[in-house]
Amino acid sequence: MIWELLLTRYNYIVVALLLPIGAYMMIENRNLVKKVIGMNIFQTGIFLFFITSAYREGGSPPIVGSGGEAATYVSPLPHVLILTAIVVGVSLTAVALALIVRIYTEYGTLDEVNLREVRADE
Amino acid sequence: MTFTPLEAVTLVFVLGCALTAALLRDVLAAIIASAAYSLGIAILWIVLQAPDVALTEAAVGAGVMTLLLLLTIAKTVRPENENEFERPNLRSLVVVVAFAGVLLATVPALPAIGAADSPVAGGEVTQYYLENAYEETEVSNAVTAVLAAYRGFDTLGEAVVVFTAGVAVLLVLRREVFV
Repeated sequence: MIWELLLTRYNYIVVALLLPIGAYMMIENRNLVKKVIGMNIFQTGIFLFFITSAYREGGSPPIVGSGGEAATYVSPLPHVLILTAIVVGVSLTAVALALIVRIYTEYGTLDEVNLREVRADE
Repeated sequence: MTFTPLEAVTLVFVLGCALTAALLRDVLAAIIASAAYSLGIAILWIVLQAPDVALTEAAVGAGVMTLLLLLTIAKTVRPENENEFERPNLRSLVVVVAFAGVLLATVPALPAIGAADSPVAGGEVTQYYLENAYEETEVSNAVTAVLAAYRGFDTLGEAVVVFTAGVAVLLVLRREVFV
């Protein structure tokens, strides 16, 4: 039963492992830059879920007419959504990193615990 | 779909890179691990027949993202650490393992990968795009057709998000130009 699930739904299992890794990094890592990396891992986990759902056995990339009359294609719609999501994710990362640079110039630390102490002292 | 060795190796590589990024304390090492992770994910997109997404992931995920992260530690600090690895915290581990358990419990309910009758790949919307995209837009790449024509407003929204992010970065850094 579990073996069969592993062989037919392996990508979904990886998604179910990547999301917790990303969540763990965001909760537990003290360095703010590593929290951002964790957020990216969480995001790509969700992307993997979408792209996997678009896959079709024996399908070719959705370029109409590339595989002859009877060709099957993978679904283009999740690909489009994820293309948009990747770009939005990078914008998000850029803003987060800009905030991190500003936090460092104001407080001189990127460590979550030290940062809390510095802010409490003020 | 049959589980190919290439895909198995890529999936293990991706999971390994994510775990490495999570466990190494050194920020530079974590950034390198996350770049390798993005590259592994890009290979995975090729395996899943999504070349457009793979190109974007390799250029933006592995390229631009890594550059931004490296610029950030160049402008701030790369903290010196006595410990090589993060010390796992039991409380967060319990929460995260519970989260993984909940997600894994949903896996049997999902359709098998590549099934022809799966709601997305065999769905009505997909069929519509594949049958009519070329006639209605004269673009043979259905991904481009959906991105620029059918969901053009989405893409406009995306451009607005990128613009807003650029303005926000300038505001936060108190600068007037990027360079």
